[in-house]
Amino acid sequence: MRKSDLPHPRIAEAEVADVRQVNQQYIDILLQQETVARNAIPGQFVMVRSWPDGDPILLRPFDIVHTDPDAGTFRIVIKVSGKGTALLSSLKKGDKITVTGPLGRGILSLDAKRIGLLVRGVGAAAVVFTAEWARARGIEVITFFSAATGGRLVCRDYLEAASDRLFIATDDGTAGHHGDARDLLDRYLKGPAQQEHPIDALFTCGSRRFARTVQELSLQGSVQGYIFLEEYMACGMGDCHGCAVRRADGDGYMLVCQEGPIFDAGEVQLD
Amino acid sequence: MTDREHPNTGESRSTPDPRLRVRLAGITLPNPVMPASGTFEYGDIHRDIMDPGRLGAIVNKTIFLEERPGNPPPRLAETPCGMLNAIGIPSKGTDEFITHILPGLAQYGVPLIISIAGNSVEEFCEVARRIEETGRADMLEVNLSCPNLSRGIEWAQDEKQLVHVVSAVRKAVKLPLAAKLSPAVADIGLMGKRAEEAGADAVSLVNTFKGMVIDLDRKKPTLGNLTGGLSGPAIHPLAVWAVYSVYENVSIPVIGMGGVNSTETALELILAGAAGVGVGMYNFVNPRIMVRIIDGLSDYLDKQNIGSIEEIVGAAHR
Repeated sequence: MRKSDLPHPRIAEAEVADVRQVNQQYIDILLQQETVARNAIPGQFVMVRSWPDGDPILLRPFDIVHTDPDAGTFRIVIKVSGKGTALLSSLKKGDKITVTGPLGRGILSLDAKRIGLLVRGVGAAAVVFTAEWARARGIEVITFFSAATGGRLVCRDYLEAASDRLFIATDDGTAGHHGDARDLLDRYLKGPAQQEHPIDALFTCGSRRFARTVQELSLQGSVQGYIFLEEYMACGMGDCHGCAVRRADGDGYMLVCQEGPIFDAGEVQLD
Repeated sequence: MTDREHPNTGESRSTPDPRLRVRLAGITLPNPVMPASGTFEYGDIHRDIMDPGRLGAIVNKTIFLEERPGNPPPRLAETPCGMLNAIGIPSKGTDEFITHILPGLAQYGVPLIISIAGNSVEEFCEVARRIEETGRADMLEVNLSCPNLSRGIEWAQDEKQLVHVVSAVRKAVKLPLAAKLSPAVADIGLMGKRAEEAGADAVSLVNTFKGMVIDLDRKKPTLGNLTGGLSGPAIHPLAVWAVYSVYENVSIPVIGMGGVNSTETALELILAGAAGVGVGMYNFVNPRIMVRIIDGLSDYLDKQNIGSIEEIVGAAHR
């Protein structure tokens, strides 16, 4: 489903076209930058920096939430969790930032009639693009979306718009099912729904526990599973060899930035 | 940093500047700037970002005789103005390198400095011989100083071992040799001197400084390998001093590296005594930085009315 002959990444300036504080923790940023807007495919990411040289030194990786090739814009959603993301959170409309991308292997084609998305928290940012892409190709999208609390259902609007069916679960019961999104998935897969509208491929992002579940389902042969992985990375282009993930076959490591961030569920070892 | 002026590969000077040429251990580099080993891959991914054909030399990620997986993650930790890495030199091994990677490196028409290492003196020699047999390498960099391997750095920390391995590789091959030194020694000037006595034609320094970051939530070291090598602008003054000190002690050329992120930081190393300059972790931040520095050196020569970069190598000593 993936190939490596994609357009080559570029380094370019992007202008902040819009910025929206989703809540205290999450910021939604629309960037004007044509290379990424026109060339990115679902599953790819960008490296971003908005501050001058010095400290923090490294660029930060973000999933491309979606693109508008005609307008030349793309969107990222950031969770404010450290120095770099705190600096990004102070961006204003019209500010200029540096963007490298698009990076990583993405989805070029998919042999499925219906896909499932099992997502937690800000992991939603990684799958919106996939959902939109799938629907544009007549592939049905069933989403199982969870968070600790209702306020952390980031990108909910985007996922709602891009899903044929959306199931919500929260740990505290403030939205949707009070409990684990995997219960909802399990109910779907074991019930009449899967008989009538079978999910062929299942994507997951945002939780190691979810990733393990998808890996198990994939190994059992229930669905074809795909896992979005995150690892600390310095360059995003395969130079630093930092974002290593263990291969399932025991033969060393793969790099999230080059061979991911989407992996076939069977090819990686989850710790 | 924002690369406003360059829509594509960031190249402003299209023809090589002859004033930047440097002679280094019998080979001529078109300019002094090269990647520090392990910080730049030469794959297609950089095609629209920078042209490796503009570099002074191409330096590969160190190869061993056999394939190595590298260290378990997490492999990186950001630090103030720098980064700890504990990559552990993943390598496909020498045969794979010769068959699949080396021909690609040769296509740029730039001198090739092949970085090698071994788990034993015999292995260093074997890798060196195999690379020499290809006829494609212009120089070997003998990596004596990786801080992330169980037996990586000690070659450069013990005078006897350093002399042993350098003199053995010296006997095994005719190619010019650069010994890559560790800063984690009492007297790096002395280690440079010993490398020269053992037959090195150049020395390159500094490798990274061993360090640790601790995760406050887990209350354990952050890196999978526990320790890592510190690089980036944070170590630059340490590298300038190390180069300055080695330059005073040796008569072979010095390739200087450590925290270079600009023309100015490259020039400091040159003035301290470096005939070649390696750019390391900053390639991760800005993959165009090496080309920027090459252009910046030309601008400096213009401004200072200097005829050749070689005139100012070690000028801080005069």
